[in-house]
Amino acid sequence: MTERPLLELRNVTKTFGQVTALDGVNLPVRAGHVQVVLGENGAGKSTLIKMIAGVHEPTSGEVYVDGEQVRISSTAAAEALGISTIHQELNLVPSMSVAENVTLGRTPRRFGLVDRARMRRTAKEALERIGLDVDLDRKVGTLGIARQQLVEIAKALSIDARIVVLDEPTAALTRTEIEDLFTVMRELRERGVGMVFISHHLDEIAEIGDSVTVLRDGAFVDEVPASTPEPELVRLMVGRSIDQLFPRRTTARGEPLLQVEGLTRTGHYEQIDLTVHAGEVVGLAGLVGAGRTEVLRAIAGADPYDAGTVRVDGDVITPHSVKDAVAAGVGLVPEDRKTQGLVLGAAVEDNLGYATLRSSSRGVLADRKGQHQRAEEISEQLQIRLHDVRQPVGSLSGGNQQKVVFGRWVLARSSVLLLDEPTRGVDVGAKVEIYELINRITDAGGAVLLASSELPEVLGVSDRVVVMSGGRIAGEMPASEATQDAVMTLAAKEVEPDHVH
Amino acid sequence: MSTETSTRSTSPAQGPTARQRAGALLSNNGALVGLVVVCVAMFIATPNFLTSRNLLNVGVQASVVAILGFGLTYVIIAAGIDLSVGSVAALSAVASGWIVASGIPGVLGLVLGPLIGMLAGAVSGLAVAYGKLPSFIATLAMLSIARGLTLVISEGRPISMPPAISWLGSDLGPVPVPVLVMLVMFAITAFVLNRTVFGRSLYALGGNAEAARLSGLPVRKLTAAVFALSGLFAGIAGMVLAGRLSSAQPQAAVGYELDAIAAVVIGGASLAGGQGRATGTLIGALVLAVIRNGLNLLNVSSFWQQVVIGLVIAVAVGIDVLRRRTG
Amino acid sequence: MTTSFARRSLTVAVAATLALSTAGCNRGSDSGAGGEGGQPTMTLAVSTLNNPFFVQLKDGAEAAAEEAGAQLEVFDAQNDASTQQNQLANASTQGVDAVLINPVDSEAAGAAVAPVIDADIPVIAVDRTVEGAEVTTLVSSDNVAGGVQAADALAAAIGEKGTVVVLQGVAGTSASRERGEGFTQGIEEYPDIEVVAAQPANFDRTEALNVTTNLLQSHPDAVGIFAENDEMALGAVQALGDRAGADVSVVGFDGTDGGLEAVEAGTLSATVAQQPSELGRVAVEKALEAIDGAELDAETSVAVTTVDESNVADFAP
Repeated sequence: MTERPLLELRNVTKTFGQVTALDGVNLPVRAGHVQVVLGENGAGKSTLIKMIAGVHEPTSGEVYVDGEQVRISSTAAAEALGISTIHQELNLVPSMSVAENVTLGRTPRRFGLVDRARMRRTAKEALERIGLDVDLDRKVGTLGIARQQLVEIAKALSIDARIVVLDEPTAALTRTEIEDLFTVMRELRERGVGMVFISHHLDEIAEIGDSVTVLRDGAFVDEVPASTPEPELVRLMVGRSIDQLFPRRTTARGEPLLQVEGLTRTGHYEQIDLTVHAGEVVGLAGLVGAGRTEVLRAIAGADPYDAGTVRVDGDVITPHSVKDAVAAGVGLVPEDRKTQGLVLGAAVEDNLGYATLRSSSRGVLADRKGQHQRAEEISEQLQIRLHDVRQPVGSLSGGNQQKVVFGRWVLARSSVLLLDEPTRGVDVGAKVEIYELINRITDAGGAVLLASSELPEVLGVSDRVVVMSGGRIAGEMPASEATQDAVMTLAAKEVEPDHVH
Repeated sequence: MSTETSTRSTSPAQGPTARQRAGALLSNNGALVGLVVVCVAMFIATPNFLTSRNLLNVGVQASVVAILGFGLTYVIIAAGIDLSVGSVAALSAVASGWIVASGIPGVLGLVLGPLIGMLAGAVSGLAVAYGKLPSFIATLAMLSIARGLTLVISEGRPISMPPAISWLGSDLGPVPVPVLVMLVMFAITAFVLNRTVFGRSLYALGGNAEAARLSGLPVRKLTAAVFALSGLFAGIAGMVLAGRLSSAQPQAAVGYELDAIAAVVIGGASLAGGQGRATGTLIGALVLAVIRNGLNLLNVSSFWQQVVIGLVIAVAVGIDVLRRRTG
Repeated sequence: MTTSFARRSLTVAVAATLALSTAGCNRGSDSGAGGEGGQPTMTLAVSTLNNPFFVQLKDGAEAAAEEAGAQLEVFDAQNDASTQQNQLANASTQGVDAVLINPVDSEAAGAAVAPVIDADIPVIAVDRTVEGAEVTTLVSSDNVAGGVQAADALAAAIGEKGTVVVLQGVAGTSASRERGEGFTQGIEEYPDIEVVAAQPANFDRTEALNVTTNLLQSHPDAVGIFAENDEMALGAVQALGDRAGADVSVVGFDGTDGGLEAVEAGTLSATVAQQPSELGRVAVEKALEAIDGAELDAETSVAVTTVDESNVADFAP
């Protein structure tokens, strides 16, 4: 590549106090080129992005824009240089309209009033440029995540951004939405916009990327073409080769541990029958909205249901009582660990101990010493990477946070684990460790019910796959016989009601 | 502390250095630093400040706000707010005075007053936990209801208190009883928050109610209990206030909820919930009392006093926010 | 979805209404609009009924109204200036024959009475002035003269020499300003008395207790305390404990029941008694005169008296 990059970071280093977050990293962003930044959580990707966005300045090293050395000292400076960053947490005001959001911060004015006509014109042009067809007056909060992201991209383009940084834009999108995003990205590439793209999905790299910068532990590892085979990318990223992405060890199937019969909540799911045996992993597949999460939450006692029974080890669990479910040995690892799983500001030891706070107490007194000790043991067992169990759980990486949620139920000796998207937002290395954890639970005679939108994961980790469609069970098959095609066919099937109400 | 394991990314083998320990003490006790700074400033400005009598006075003057603050600490940790504490304090005192005036022994009034506060708090708590009212609204309503009942019961006139209650305003040896009550309530709060299942659950509830619920914690019961506890503490504060004046004033403790909230927040609690400590609240209440005391000692003009107090609250909380961001 | 939202907003609305209604009015009579068979109707807007002084003021006004066969509706603003403004706005639309206002805040009252004056309804200010509006008359105790009387009483109690401190009322109120002014004038006549501190305790007993405790720390030699109302004087007495009346003389202002009891007990040296029921009575009389079309003086003074040991029996509650 002889062309001069639009933006280039050379040998940049960033230290926070005594911690080196980035060490001697190079990153070129070329016109009409998608530069993928790949690395595990904690490898320094977000620090790198924050440098480009003007949030952090490098401790040493140089930044060049169009061949000239520059300082990106603030987000305003980044904007002035034509750099726009689409963060995972979108910078949109949900209660304002699409047009207002696109022009936010530089709302057109006339005589001190908002010039609505010009605002709409600017916004319309920006939306047209990426072929996004939404009502300009619609409140942004009513749009799905995917469209909100596109609005944010339109906003970036309307300020003539030449460099767009996309931080894990696909993490919350469905397959079709990802296709739409990629179409927009390809158009931007045509028009010479330089892009930085971050994703945990290796398959997306070959699809949309041009070249890949790999980081590991804050250090620059290599820059390779996007066509590099996945196992090689994993090796560069993790620093060792991972022989098996899904290291499932099957265990002898024992007695039925979790038995769900006729579980129904009108409007959400109907007539769900499920059995998970000791030592077994049952995968729950289906499209988004098929009712997987709702069923898991109902079993865990988090939400009420209209009919049906849930039995654990033969005993019926009181509906809509988390306390009862926990006491019977059920543990839910919820879909979104940040909003449902963890108290981010609280210590790791506290988060590990919530489910056992009462059972371990002596009278009204909490057993803090014992809980501390057990938290240390568990975090060592589960290889949670931390300095101290007293550090806030929010300071851990995504994978380690997820292990803390798991650890809570390991500590509670839960025998039935309900896992909802257990590896979402978790990098490859930690994923494998979480799969190992699932193995250990079944080795110990536990039962696991796993819901995931990642089909390879469902197929690779489960012993048996149950497919849901439209709130009903569409079918089931042993994992050994299941293929992605077979599962998708069932997932897309219209399920006829068994009987007329 | 365990020895090095492969899972630790830094080795904790050698303990924290003295400097780290001092740093940790400082960053855990931003409010304490503030208190020391204010005290030193007052001592430099007026030698009258640092006399044992005056320090006890400060303790007495902090007591009511501190006791209200301890009650509020539970609520604020659980991510709620209780605006009714001042009114509930007045209601407890007046109701207790009225009961005693009707011929019930004073000691019984001493017990009934706080219980009435707890009842008022429980009503707010049930409205929040089961009626799904935002705590701001529920306790705003209680603020008005309790004050109204106070006026109804007292007919707008002070009720004088029997010795069994006015004893709360006297001295026990060299130490004023309000200071003792404050310290006892402090010890109870510190113990409950640190050591009991209830206390530990509150941090989870305030930090992330959904995570707490999905872990099997009884979120609604906890919520209701927190407000009942705040009411109980308000009732005790009301009795101390009435004890000091030897009479229950219908207009007592107007606006005290704001002082109590300020004390809790100066003490490092976050109104977003999940954070807060008894020590912090105690220090926060002392900071406010020291400033008021100092302004009197220095004979600062009445117009400037309100400005100074507002600035101190803003600076204290501002420093804390900065400290958190950098630390 | 919709129903639960509706139910929720309903509960919020109910709670809000509750909060408002309890903060709202305390009606003396149940009828509103005026002119029932020539019987004059009047509105009395009181700053607060949490204070016995204003309760007595109200009682005096009600008694006078009953005597004259007039209807008097009483509103309690609970010390909230905007509540009072709303109450006056309501009164002017109801078309009463006269409005008696005891302002929460003298400044804010100006705007509050404007619509009433515009409607050509006579406005009688009671106890506190109304700034920025021309009221028919102000019926008040002579606070400045009262302050001078308080200074004389305190001087007499401490033998015309020594240091004294002052407990001030709510900063910016006319009562605090005028009483303070009168006291300062009066005490200047005694060259051997020095005022060493003046600190606010906002007319509140608890605050006065704290502030007095603090002031005794910085001025242990103080022999006299002047409090701009009796509530604060009682707080000071509480702070002094056994020393009240013995080592340190306290003089209050208002002559409330509590204040008079303390004078009787000897803990309070004197109080400058306003006659709140007299204020209320005179205000109603002036209002009736105004309704009849009489021209009134801008100010109507109601006498204040120094109450001490010698004459407390005449005032005893």
